[in-house]
Amino acid sequence: MTTADGTVIGTTQIFGSASRNRAFNIVLLAEGFQAAEQAAFNTAADNFVTALRATPPYGHLSAAINVFRVNVSSTNSGADDPTSTGGTGAVVNTYFDATFGANGIRRLLVCNTTTALTVASAQVPEHSLVLVVVNSTVYGGSGGSVGTYSLAGGATEIAIHEAGHTAYGLADEYPYYAGGNETGHDHYAGGEPAQPNVTANTDRPTLKWNWAVAAATALPTMSNPDCSTVDNRPSPVPDGTVGLFEGAFYFHCGAYRPEYNCKMRALGVPFCAVCRQAIWNRIGPLATLPAKARTPISVVARYPEHLDVFAVAGDGRTMSDWWDAGSGWGGWFQLSGGIASPGGGGSPVTSISRYSGHLDVFTVGTDNRVYSAWWDVSSGWSGWFTLGKLTCRPGSTVNVVSRYNDHIDLFTTASDGRVMSIWWDASSGWAADWFQISGGVAADGAPVTAIARYRNHLDVFTVGTDNHVYSTWWDDRNGWAAWFRLGNLTCRPDSTVTAVSRYPDHIDLFTTASDGKVMSSWWDVRSGWADWFQISGGVASPGSPVTAIARFNNHLDLFTIGTDNRIYSTWWQDTSGWASWFNVSGGVGQAGGQVAAIQRVTDHIDLFTVGTDGLVYSTWWDSASGWASWFQLGVS
Amino acid sequence: MSEPNEPAEPRSVRLIFEYVGDQVSLVSQQPVDVAITGFDVPQEAMPGYHVEVRGANEQVLSRVPIRAEMTASREVFPETPGEPIVRVDLPEARGAFTVVVPAPVDAHHVTVVRITGRPTGVATKATAPPAESRAQVTELGSFALDGGAR
Repeated sequence: MTTADGTVIGTTQIFGSASRNRAFNIVLLAEGFQAAEQAAFNTAADNFVTALRATPPYGHLSAAINVFRVNVSSTNSGADDPTSTGGTGAVVNTYFDATFGANGIRRLLVCNTTTALTVASAQVPEHSLVLVVVNSTVYGGSGGSVGTYSLAGGATEIAIHEAGHTAYGLADEYPYYAGGNETGHDHYAGGEPAQPNVTANTDRPTLKWNWAVAAATALPTMSNPDCSTVDNRPSPVPDGTVGLFEGAFYFHCGAYRPEYNCKMRALGVPFCAVCRQAIWNRIGPLATLPAKARTPISVVARYPEHLDVFAVAGDGRTMSDWWDAGSGWGGWFQLSGGIASPGGGGSPVTSISRYSGHLDVFTVGTDNRVYSAWWDVSSGWSGWFTLGKLTCRPGSTVNVVSRYNDHIDLFTTASDGRVMSIWWDASSGWAADWFQISGGVAADGAPVTAIARYRNHLDVFTVGTDNHVYSTWWDDRNGWAAWFRLGNLTCRPDSTVTAVSRYPDHIDLFTTASDGKVMSSWWDVRSGWADWFQISGGVASPGSPVTAIARFNNHLDLFTIGTDNRIYSTWWQDTSGWASWFNVSGGVGQAGGQVAAIQRVTDHIDLFTVGTDGLVYSTWWDSASGWASWFQLGVS
Repeated sequence: MSEPNEPAEPRSVRLIFEYVGDQVSLVSQQPVDVAITGFDVPQEAMPGYHVEVRGANEQVLSRVPIRAEMTASREVFPETPGEPIVRVDLPEARGAFTVVVPAPVDAHHVTVVRITGRPTGVATKATAPPAESRAQVTELGSFALDGGAR
């Protein structure tokens, strides 16, 4: 009963066409099939593919899934089936040494997992999931690192359930350990489970699947009135309702599951919405991101060897990807189930890192209210939660500034154009609601930008309803100043005023004139505001903002998309002035699109934009090597 | 875009381990060209079993969770739909698992660790500051990466 009891015949890809190094590769191993029985294994493998594709969300992820069958012949047919557990007493010689009756339970069908993993790794080194198909019509199966199941009707359900654990880290949602009559499983008393589909948290704003819970759904949705036993009452809400159903994770009470039923609770039913999302976020990052055409990309560096990038998919999903020097790009995943407002050019996801182990992100949702979520190294992503009662313009941008680590100031526009702000402070939490800044009203589509030159000072900019640039400022002694106009420049209504402070007593502004000219002005504490001037003859694509970073206090780098949709850059140095615009590595972006830029280490720039094919691209500049070629942003 | 060339990619290694209780042994290591997504190298601390990729000075370069259970129990599935899935206890945890880890040039060895204690409790307020980590990390075994793997 070893590998001497058979032969690996060969491997055949039976489903999918994704590149094997960018795919979710499932390997099916034949166990207990003699050489003449391989056709039966082939049929079983095909049946598995049919069952998998019929199980949402796998059908939607087919483009990133490959399935391989590895034909292995065994000396004998079937599996051991001890009489001690009610079996036939069969003792057979098979390659993976499968046997029913493990731990005294006949339907517990196990095999030699080391051999299975070794064969799978030799045949398909890129495998993501290994399943052993046992040639027996006796019902049986088991999980673990290798799923094992027989040819009995319905046994493929075991494989798909077990993949939930092995491939996606899903928890069991059933509310008992041994069927419900066990002791010691009345009430879950542990901390918040790490798995995405069970929780001990009943707080709606911070519930990890709050993105899937309708406002009208009560939380908890179903509570167990008798924790000494399993709650077997029918669901009080229609099938598919996501809420909090008490009884999960092997406990009658204290742990909750997202829906009344789910394949991680019982075989023969679909995965719940939360598990479907977890599967999507495991396989989806292997694919490219079709981004919203003009989505502004937000990028932050929590520390020099790490980048977090945020964008909005073409269907409005709030997406993120990250790069780490130790592991490369992680691939795009949907951020806490969020969907951004599709109005205008579409609301972006904006972000800030107040310290290295924490992110705060913001967007306007499909109901045009402002949402936030946060990620912390100790707890992962929170759910999205609303900030105040403000209703924004569809597609508004929420800009964020942190004057110091324990404080956030947000800026956006209300549905009627009022310039609005709200703040969070660690000592008091979020302010009760948004307030209008000094009666200001922004032009249709104009974002509100801000910088903090000191911890007790803010400078705010926008384009007013007369299409001129306006500014105001706040300090802790005087509060908000009145808005004042900056020069006579006439902008596009949706122009962005980009502000950079190279040193605390200096501001550089960049925007686009009504005819697309790239314009700049500056303020210095000694000389006040300068007039607007065009930078090196540059003209931007209609709607494209000008991105600016100050790598040194005497150096600026600008980026925008030109009228030919090429990506352009220029720089300013105090000793030489403004350089001519140049095309960055031949890059071409979307008309009206944005180029995001960040300096994470000295003499290094990373750029991000949406390409002409709607995918997100990146390049970098390093003083030692110059500009790199653009590459598609996904998983490394 | 004009030239969709990607930068040099970190290399990866597939590792197969066996375990009996907390005794872990490395069965094989195999360089493999496969994408490692953020799902497999989560940036947040998670309780459970992990394989850490470490440099020569023990600095953790990445941490890959072991999704397959290393528990002393198994699931038993009902033959009849509607009947409960149950778990049965085993005399001891025993089995094998595989992970694919990033192997950048400064990767030196891997260490299998068990992280216990939820790093943080449930945030009860959206405004809650991050909690201090209360996780305990137990090392179960370290294994050198083959030079050929990097």
